[in-house]
Formats: sequence, C-alpha cells, structure tokens
Amino acid sequence: MPELFMRMMKEEWRMHSTIFGQVSFALFPFMIFGISFMGSFLLPYLRPALPIGDLALAVHAMFLVLGAMVGEFGLMGNEMMNRRFGQASLLAYSARSLPLSGRFIFVNFVLKDTVYYFFLWVLPFGAGYVAATPFSGASFSSALLLLLTLALAFMWGLCTVFLLSSVYVRSRAACGVLVTVGGLLFLASFLLKGPALALLFPPYMLYCGFSWKMLLSTCAQLAAIYALSLLLFSAEETGTTKVHGDLFAPFLARFGFLQQSPLVAKDLVDMYRSGIGIGQAIFSFAIPLVLIWVFLSLAGPFLPLHGPIMLFSMITGVVGSTIYTWVTEFDSFGPYACLPISVSTLIQSKMTTCALLQVLPGAFIAIMAVLSGEAENLLPAVVLCVSFSFYAAGVMAYLCGLSPSVLVYDVKVLFTYLVLDGVVFAIFSAVSLANPLYAISSLLLLLPGWGFVKAAMRRWDAVDPGGY
Amino acid sequence: MSAVLEVSGLSKVYGDVTALDRVSLSVEGGSLFGLLGPNGSGKTTMIKVLTGQIRPTGGSARVLGLDAEREGLRVRERVGIIPEQESPPSFLTSMEYLEFVGAVRQIPDIRERADEWFHLLEFGDKRDVLCKDLSRGTRQKLMFAQAFIHEPALALIDEPLINLDPLMQDVVKEFLADYVKSGKTVFLSTHILEVAEEICSSFAVLHNGKLLYSGPIADLAATGAHLPGFFLSLVRKGSHA
Ligand SMILES: Nc1ncnc2c1ncn2[C@@H]1O[C@H](COP(=O)(O)OP(=O)(O)OP(=O)(O)O)[C@@H](O)[C@H]1O
Ligand SMILES: [Mg+2]
Repeated sequence: MPELFMRMMKEEWRMHSTIFGQVSFALFPFMIFGISFMGSFLLPYLRPALPIGDLALAVHAMFLVLGAMVGEFGLMGNEMMNRRFGQASLLAYSARSLPLSGRFIFVNFVLKDTVYYFFLWVLPFGAGYVAATPFSGASFSSALLLLLTLALAFMWGLCTVFLLSSVYVRSRAACGVLVTVGGLLFLASFLLKGPALALLFPPYMLYCGFSWKMLLSTCAQLAAIYALSLLLFSAEETGTTKVHGDLFAPFLARFGFLQQSPLVAKDLVDMYRSGIGIGQAIFSFAIPLVLIWVFLSLAGPFLPLHGPIMLFSMITGVVGSTIYTWVTEFDSFGPYACLPISVSTLIQSKMTTCALLQVLPGAFIAIMAVLSGEAENLLPAVVLCVSFSFYAAGVMAYLCGLSPSVLVYDVKVLFTYLVLDGVVFAIFSAVSLANPLYAISSLLLLLPGWGFVKAAMRRWDAVDPGGY
Repeated sequence: MSAVLEVSGLSKVYGDVTALDRVSLSVEGGSLFGLLGPNGSGKTTMIKVLTGQIRPTGGSARVLGLDAEREGLRVRERVGIIPEQESPPSFLTSMEYLEFVGAVRQIPDIRERADEWFHLLEFGDKRDVLCKDLSRGTRQKLMFAQAFIHEPALALIDEPLINLDPLMQDVVKEFLADYVKSGKTVFLSTHILEVAEEICSSFAVLHNGKLLYSGPIADLAATGAHLPGFFLSLVRKGSHA
C-alpha cells in the first residue's frame, strides 16, 4: 500500500512539474497561501457589506466544487487519457499489468488525490487565513476550524464524484439519473428554502456551530460515501456498443463553411462520444455557475440595480472561455503531426470549436436573465458574456497555446492572465453597471480578442510543439 | 532519377542529448530506403526533422525539393507519414478517421479509397469500431492506410510492421515493393533486418546519432555479406570507437 501510494504521488507531482515547470509549479501552493493571506486583510472591509456567513458559505462552496473538479478526473480520467494519449498510461490505469487488484489501485488513487490536492490547495489556503489571524481580527480557533471544515468540504466534493464515477462505470444511465435527480432536488429545495438550505451541508454546518458529535457524524458520512464508492467500484468497463454509425461525415457537411471544418468536426464527434463534453458541461460549467449565481443573488441587495445579472454574465463569460481548455487539454498534438496541420491551424480550429460552443454560456445567460426577471436586459447580457468569453479565450490561447492548464499552475502566466482579464472586467463592470445597455459596447472586445488569437498563432508556431 | 531527399550536416540536440550528429545522406526517387540503427540511435528524430515536425539544430534537409525546416507544412502535404507510436484518435471509428484524413488532405473520393484499403488490409467489420477498441495491430494497419491513402510521392514510415501478424506483414511488404515500382519512394525505419534486406534497395545505419554507413544493398550482396551480420559488426565497432 504505502509503496504504490508514494509512487502515485510522485507520478502526479512529476506530471504537473514537467508540464508546468518545476519552479513555477512549486510556487503554486505559496501563491494560494499569499492570496488567502492577503484576502484575509480585506475581511474587515467586506464585513459591513456582506454577512460573514455568506462569505464562509461561498468559500465552502468553492472547496466543494474544487473537490468535485479534482474528482472529475476520476470520473472522466479514463476517457481523458484515452483522448489525450491514445491509451491510458497512468499507474491508476495499469491494473492489468500489475499483480494488484483494480480496487486496491482505486483506493490508492482516491487517497492520493485526497492527500495531494489537500497539500496543493486546501492547506495553503487555510494556512494563509490562519497566519493572517493576528492582523485580520479573526480568532485563531475559528481559523483552525475553517481549515478543518474546508478540508471536509473538499473531500465531500471529491468523494461524491468518486461515488458517481463508480456508478458511471457500472451504468451510465443510473449515473445520469442520479445527477439529474440530485440537481433537481437541489434546485427545488433552493427555491423553497433559499440559502438556509446550505445549513444542511455538513461541513458548513460544522463551521457554523462546532461540536465533536457533529464532527464525528460528518466524518462517518464521508467514510460511508467513500466506502460505498469502493464497494460499487468495478475495473471493468461495461460493454458499450462496439459498432458506431458515421457521425463525422454529417458533422463535416454541417460545418463545411468553416475554414477548419475537418478539425472542428473531429473535435465535436470526439467530445460527444467520449462524454467529455457532457462531463465538463456539468462539472466545470453548470455546477460552478449555479453556485456563483446563488452567491451573487445573496449579495444582490448590496449591488446596484441590474448588478447581479451583468456581473454574472461577465463571470459566465470567464467560465465560458474555459471551454477553450476543454477542447485543447484533452487532446494532444501528436496524432496531428503526421498530417499537414500546424500548431497555428490547430489553435485556430480549437478557437472555432470554442466559439461554436459559446451557445452554451449564451443560452445559459439568456435563461438566467429571464428567470431573474431581467428579460429586458437579455441582449446586452448575452453580448457581454460572449464577447468577454471570446476575449478571455484569446488571451488564454496567446499565453498558453495548446496547453492552457499551464494557466492554473504557472504563477507568471496566471498573473498576466489575471491582469489582462481583470482590467477589462473592471472597465465593463463599470460600464454595464452604469447602464446595462452600454454593455453592448463589449462587442469591441472582439477586436483585441482576435488580435490575441492571431498573435497566439504566430507565437506558438515558432516553437516545437511540446509534450511530444 | 534525381534525389527526392537530400540531407546535409543535419543535427538535432535535445537538451544534453545529441540525437542526430551532422548526418548527410541522399535518397534517390523510386527507391525503398531502409534506415537502420539500435534503440535511441536517432531514426525517429530523423523522420520528424525531415517532415518538419521538429526543427533541426544544424544543417539542412530538402524533401521533394522543399526545405524541411521552413516549408514543413508543404512537405507534410506532399508526403505520407507513419509516426512511431501515435494511435488514431480514440473516439473516431476507422472509417471516420480516414474520412478525417481525407478532409484534411482534400481527397474527394475518400470513401472509395478507404474501402479499398479496408479490403486490402482485411478490416472486415472493424471499419465501424472506435479506434480505442481496436487491437494494437489493427490500429497500426489504420496508420498504414492513412499514410498512403493520398498516394504520396514519398512516404516516411517508422516501424510500419510492428504488431502486424506474419500474413499481414507479407501483404504490407508486397505493397511496398509494388509502390516503389511505380516510381514513388519509401523511406523506412525498421529493426527487422531480414525485412530490410529482402525489400530495400538501399540502406543507412545510424548509431548514437551518427551515420555509420549508407549505400545500396547490392554492394553488400556483391561482397557476399548479409545485412544482419554486417549491421551487428558495424554497430559493435561503432560502440567501441
Ligand atoms: N523529445 C525528446 N526530448 C529529449 N530527448 C529525446 C526526445 N526524443 C528523443 N530523444 C532522445 O534522442 C535520441 C534518439 O531518439 P529516437 O527516438 O530518434 O531514436 P530511435 O532510433 O527512433 O530509437 P528506437 O529504435 O528505440 O525507436 C534518444 O537518446 C532519445 O532519448
Ligand atoms: Mg524510433
């Protein structure tokens, strides 16, 4: 057990540090620490504007989502590896070549994820907050409690997704039903009960009123979910249909008018069949956005009229721009290298696919606008969202080329990204808060966005494609 | 015929590894040229540089009259390549993959050509199976079809026989022999010396990135030597040097 566990930890570390550069990556936890340390100083200023409970709730929700996203790799991991490397190549997927049972490897995998990401994200964040207590006025013991409950929230997200992944391997339909029913229940009870619902989330409940008994019961619930996902775990893929009708030709015909239609059609077929499209749409798009919306509507009373929908449309734009990461990250340049396709062609095609998929954030914002009684601002909200998304994706393509996950871990790149996006975010918040109709001017963002894409194509053609 | 491939003083350095060390050679049109060498001797690197997939650190290469470094994209339009270890995209079927290649290479009758290849390489009902569910050898056959489907004037193929059963190896060898008879050129990297001896017209031996030998197979035959023995003694000598 310890040996496989240590090897998996090393593998994860090496994978990240080769992709992102050892130094940049090693700085990552320190950056998280720094952000939360500095953020703590803002608390006294935020307090009059926001009820502290809501802020704590938002942070817990964030760690829940973080856990879910890390866990998503467990759920989608096989499909992702399949897409990216042709064949699964991580230790976790080498069950058949090692004299170890699939379940044993899965246990190690789960433990590794929990521990690794705890040290990468949860601990630095909590430690930053704890270290700031002498200055921020928060009590030391409440900071320690936060560290504990955040860790629990993180694990909650992680193990829920592991459970889903175990169910998913056994039956995709059952998994779909679980997610849908769970989502509907959440929405329904949110509409009925409002934010008080969050009190049912055990880690948050624990934060609001600590007791040993509750801690024990929270841990027991976590352990139960972990155990259940292990119990249901099966290394065998259920037999999916082996013969498939031709999807590529119809997609190619439909998108024939696009310059890079073969590549776009290939990506769409790929995302559709691998389930990555659906998985990402749920875990990296819908869930985080719904949580952010919940939070924004809490802050509604403190924002100007129409503030929530306009801010939300920009945030959706940022999240929408990460579609560029879905379409690039799970693909590698290797299989294209034997064809007359250059890195710039590929960047262009990925941007095109990303632009097509903007119907997702666009439609999402339109629905939210109608639901929140802002139908008259539907057009500016959608325009703002999609323009901002295109701009942010262009910046990402320029900074990271075909491996946008560098963004998350390379401190220098992340900083540039935050500045380039932050400035524009600030300008358009001001503009659209002044008058929602002015948000239409965000169409201007298409120009610099296009400029970044062009610059990206020049920049990344000039270096040997990485990772191959 | 004139040279379709001309390499002079070509070097490629990865960090502290010299994968190619001032290699010069030329390949005549219409030949089946074998590139031989132990593991890590630089064969795959050579093919990648020749097709503009990576940039050389020194020297130059002309492929079909094009500069491999500056006109890599045009080189790849005109040649066919079987990469060393890439597999076709996991979530496309064999047919869809060839349609994709056809769309990229702008081949109008791609479906007919694909069907001919499925027939030649005995795909049977595998044409509608996702690539990730294909056996290793079947994936290799698909990569083979992909490289030749546009009938390129030059094909650079890295270990094409790997994972193929003996029957399929025969089909492929016969195809290659016919292919060069029509005046086209094949640049083949392989470890299987018997095959190289059987089908190649010329060959070169790389060792630690250096070119140890380059010449026609006929020269070797004239001395009564056989390729496997010749290769082993050459490489052993190279190691001691
Ligand atoms: N991307 C890379 N980065 C660093 N070193 C590399 C890279 N690719 C190849 N090398 C090194 O370059 C040398 C030549 O490798 P290459 O793959 O060209 O050999 P090869 O002759 O094809 O070997 P094999 O017969 O095993 O396929 C090796 O020492 C290898 O380790
Ligand atoms: Mg090789």
